[in-house]
Amino acid sequence: MTMHGQPRAARALVPLALAATAALILSGCAGGLGGQDTGGGDSADGPIKLGMLAPFSGSESAFGVYMENGGQLAVDEINAAGGIDGRELELITEDDACDATASVAAANKLVTQGIVASVGGYCSGATLPTLPIFNDAGIPMVIPAANSNKLVDAGLDTVFLINGTGTQQAAATLKYALKSGATKVAVLNDNTDYSKDLATSFVNQATEDGTLEIVLDQSVTPGEKDYSANVNNVMNANPDFVVWTGYYQEGALITRQLIDAGYTGPILVGDGSVDKKFAEIAGPGYTDTVVGTFTQTPDMLEGAGDWIASYTEAFGADPGPYSTQSYDAVRVMAEAISNAGSTETDAVVAALRELDGFPIFSGPLTFTEEGTLSEGGFAIVQIGPDGTFVLKDDLQS
Amino acid sequence: MIDFFSDQLFQLVWNGLFVGSFYALVALGYSMVYGIIKLLNFAHGDIYMLGSFIAFVVLGGAVGLLGTASLPILLLVLLITMILTGGIGVLIERVAYKPLRSSPRLAVLITAVGVSFTIEYGVRLIFGAEPKVFPFRMGGETFSVLGGRISLPQVVLMLIAGGLMWILQAYIMRSREGRAMRAIALDPRASLLMGVNVDRVISRTFFIGSALAGAAGVMAGAYYGSIDFLMGFTIGLKAFTAAVIGGIGNLYGAMLGGLVLGLLESFGTFVLGGEWRDVFTFACLILFLSIRPTGILGARVVERM
Repeated sequence: MTMHGQPRAARALVPLALAATAALILSGCAGGLGGQDTGGGDSADGPIKLGMLAPFSGSESAFGVYMENGGQLAVDEINAAGGIDGRELELITEDDACDATASVAAANKLVTQGIVASVGGYCSGATLPTLPIFNDAGIPMVIPAANSNKLVDAGLDTVFLINGTGTQQAAATLKYALKSGATKVAVLNDNTDYSKDLATSFVNQATEDGTLEIVLDQSVTPGEKDYSANVNNVMNANPDFVVWTGYYQEGALITRQLIDAGYTGPILVGDGSVDKKFAEIAGPGYTDTVVGTFTQTPDMLEGAGDWIASYTEAFGADPGPYSTQSYDAVRVMAEAISNAGSTETDAVVAALRELDGFPIFSGPLTFTEEGTLSEGGFAIVQIGPDGTFVLKDDLQS
Repeated sequence: MIDFFSDQLFQLVWNGLFVGSFYALVALGYSMVYGIIKLLNFAHGDIYMLGSFIAFVVLGGAVGLLGTASLPILLLVLLITMILTGGIGVLIERVAYKPLRSSPRLAVLITAVGVSFTIEYGVRLIFGAEPKVFPFRMGGETFSVLGGRISLPQVVLMLIAGGLMWILQAYIMRSREGRAMRAIALDPRASLLMGVNVDRVISRTFFIGSALAGAAGVMAGAYYGSIDFLMGFTIGLKAFTAAVIGGIGNLYGAMLGGLVLGLLESFGTFVLGGEWRDVFTFACLILFLSIRPTGILGARVVERM
């Protein structure tokens, strides 16, 4: 009988699913058991432990290394200068694999290791479920990369973002679209938290602004190879500007298939697609019309030459996206702990709020009420001849 | 209705047939294996993925040696990959399924899921989770036909897929070995009594099915350009859907089902929007399973107790 395979398979998967759910609930609850105010057993001597969740496995694993190195560089510099009140800093990294289940487990592990502050978070979808865990354990967070508005909407006063948020990125996207004379825009997202958030923000802002017409606003299924269906829909909507808010794996394929289908206008991608792999996957001749929104990387920033040199010397590799943000996250957190004179949660959070014009790579830092940057710091990048993204327009005018 | 699609009609049909020919190639192995031993080989989609990775390695070596790659080289790599993935298919059957041949069907099904994960995460261990860029990209002219755009690589790949399917059906329908395969599909016990070497036929079925899936994997790599360790998962499910639509266990049904599914997806997404593609696909699966489980061509189902 032909039908037996499928329902039985489904039935066999039920206990698996149940077990996974139970594990998820249990690990989720474990975070709520802490609740002490001092951030997990911080003693007044010994190193001050900072935790960093980043992806070291999975599709985004390249970024984990960039982040860890950036953070470690700041820790080393601060320690070389005598630490904070005579105590050394220590950076403890854990792998969140850009996955919500893995990140919850990793966050709990960091809490039990006695971190007093968190300076990690790359994938918004994986970072979001860790917020309550850290918050309940009295651990303030300065998040270097993850930037979904949902992180802000969680409304926790221990959460600070030093990467521009989706709203700020969408504003930069709109600014550039208008600047380049776009009239009809097609928006595609990949259904992830980060991507949907950016797309929704952009569509809302564009609608409010009213100068552009959004001719298409659709999701694609991530992890596929064939996007002819979506591409076909885009071609039918006949846009003169396409915005892709997802990651590079799909973005590069969609770009290639769009151009094959005869689209000739600009394709603007979000910061999740700004990666040298984008040009590799899209292939030569397919990236001339691609631009991206990105927080400036070390190589785009003026005066970062010395910093790049010391990074390269320390790790024998070039810095990458989010190296500077992670470096800054550690410095911002260290500054706050130093100003507070303790690692006590309320004092550190208050000190973070009081920062005024603290110099970081993206400009002087002052946090808004919501714990976000007062200045977004997004620039427009394009793909250079070697496939890396280079600065095109800093949007300052 | 036709008016509504008119300026789009050719493009939608073409896109559907192109994607459908990939589905058909993978669905054949699904369907043949099911026809012979009534097993849904859930690892079948991962053979497709393995095909693209084997070709990635072999092609990378060839490009390294020759400094270039061309269509004849790709065809050679296709052949090598088919032999290797075919061999892997046979090996999987020997190691994972053969010992369980008299076990309850559920045990074999779970084993198949296990094999699938083993292959996926084995490849991830070796190659990493990052998508790999295929060393050879098919490029070529794009021309307009009836208001649609078709490209040379698409035509070439569809010819290759069509050729493979034609060879397969000739083999099954006209050769002694093919007759043995059909006999076993009909009644394994009687075939055994009549002197058919059942083990050998099962191995051969796995070889052919896996070789075709591997070929589809190579073609996908060369056309789309990026490969990753999870790429077989969705296409495995889609191929299963295609096999069910055509009539699982039926050779022509798998080919037809692949093309029909491609067309359904193409037209469905045109009407509903791209994000509905997979929802629509698996809704079709449920619809077929509940209304016409024997599929379009309706393989004769004999329930043996």
